[in-house]
Amino acid sequence: MEKIFTTRSILLWILFAVVMCAIPFLAGKGFLRICIQAFFLAIYAMSWDVLSGRTGYVSFGHPFLVGIGTYATAILSYRFDMPLIASIPLGILATMIGGTILFLPALRIKETYFALVTLAFMELIYQLTQVVRPDLTGGTRGISGIESITTGAINNYYLSFGLMFIIAFSLWALMRTRLGNALSAIGMNEEAVKGCGINTTKLKLFAFLVSALVAGIGGAFSVHYFGSLAPRNLFDINFLFTIIVAALIGGSSTIIGPMIGALFLTFLLEYLRPWVPGTERFFIYGIVALLLYMYRPSGIYAIFWEVVDKFKGKNASSIKDSTSIQGVK
Amino acid sequence: MALLEINNLEAFYGMAQSLHGISLNIEEGSIVGIIGSNGAGKSTLMDSIMGLVNTKGSIKLEGEELTGKKSADVVKLGVGYAPERAHLFPYMSVYDNLLVGGITAKEDIDKNLSMVLDLFPNLIDRKNQETGTQSGGERQMVSVGRALMTSPRLLLVDEPTIGLSPKVCLDIARALRKLNEETGLTILITEQNVNFAMSLASHIHVFETGELRLSGPTDELRSNPELAKAYFGH
Repeated sequence: MEKIFTTRSILLWILFAVVMCAIPFLAGKGFLRICIQAFFLAIYAMSWDVLSGRTGYVSFGHPFLVGIGTYATAILSYRFDMPLIASIPLGILATMIGGTILFLPALRIKETYFALVTLAFMELIYQLTQVVRPDLTGGTRGISGIESITTGAINNYYLSFGLMFIIAFSLWALMRTRLGNALSAIGMNEEAVKGCGINTTKLKLFAFLVSALVAGIGGAFSVHYFGSLAPRNLFDINFLFTIIVAALIGGSSTIIGPMIGALFLTFLLEYLRPWVPGTERFFIYGIVALLLYMYRPSGIYAIFWEVVDKFKGKNASSIKDSTSIQGVK
Repeated sequence: MALLEINNLEAFYGMAQSLHGISLNIEEGSIVGIIGSNGAGKSTLMDSIMGLVNTKGSIKLEGEELTGKKSADVVKLGVGYAPERAHLFPYMSVYDNLLVGGITAKEDIDKNLSMVLDLFPNLIDRKNQETGTQSGGERQMVSVGRALMTSPRLLLVDEPTIGLSPKVCLDIARALRKLNEETGLTILITEQNVNFAMSLASHIHVFETGELRLSGPTDELRSNPELAKAYFGH
């Protein structure tokens, strides 16, 4: 058996952490706040990718999962004065349990129907948060004044980066195990996976639980950073597409790809703001995404490795060898 | 007792019946060929054993009933399956494809991996190549290899020579024979390529429109005028 951790891959992860930890010493607070948004988006995109990018079950209801974690921890801490050390884990647990109860039956259906059912879940929770116990959920206005975990851009930068890094590293390690291998195989040919003696229903459930865990962590921590939540923003189609586009634009079925996609998208939208202050910015990012899908559907991460291969003098198109990117994929 | 006993098997794709009352036995340690033209029911027989289609009748592996079981459970009972046109994971390397096959083998995974690479040495240099970029022959080798990674007692190989050159067919035949001789593995193979099947199998069953038309030792069937007329045109 090949080792999960190689010296090269560990060194690359350490280098990544060191570079990212050095940024607060070099950049301003505005830049750090954009990074924080990007890190949370990266967590959502990785969560989406574990389920949809790997297994091919495209979820249009990911804000639903993020929403459970967000609402659960916000209600527990804001309405019931529960300490964050308890409300955050309970929020994550609620995401996994609530998500499983609703999503699990949907895993029996495939392709477009799965996507539509998950989209319906998002709409369902959007409506429910407004009409069921608005005294708890805050109804259409949501909740504001939610307690922060820490204050200041630098502290929140390290907190959000730490979360993203731990999640990314854990997922990367998981995907390099036999289990991760089988998860990726489902997206390519589920029948063939069954033919290898693997129970794909259990495997999909596992992928979903991991996806819900990550979405729950992202949702629970982000609400304590932003300090407020509003159902219109949380269960919004733009938020959904931003998650999906971040994963796809960076490189689906990789761990690095969704992180690159999230950073690229967040900075693109922020740096366009002075020139295009309105929602027209989304039009520009739509064009960028479209061009990437048309000409490089495997995403920015694959483009990066093509450039590296060219620099090394390898002919990338002759034999597609998965070792070149395996070190950090 | 035969390793695999099939009795009065009927198979259905929705309302359409594809197999009609098939009964046959496969002895342990043998290579058995199923031949027939397109639509004869060869692949349906494989799918039936694997629990991938609705069936009636009985399929027993060493006395244990397979009908009604999910394919994952059939594999765990000792049936390895290399489907028609390989059905690999195209964006994964040869090595990763083999590892997916080996998930259920657990502690045997390293032993199985070296057995597969010994059987198909061409794969050693291609270990890290994505299977989607490989030739048909190499893909077929990975497919058989992946089935072997499950530590099977019975290996099902569905039309391994489709679209392959005679040289590659010969390599695959050599590997399957070696496997059978060295490990005693029972192999059930379906083929349209009658010469290929007859060069390997000790026993042949001829299928036609979902029914079993002829059965017998290969040497007997080789001189059977009915078979010669159906497959060799004389």
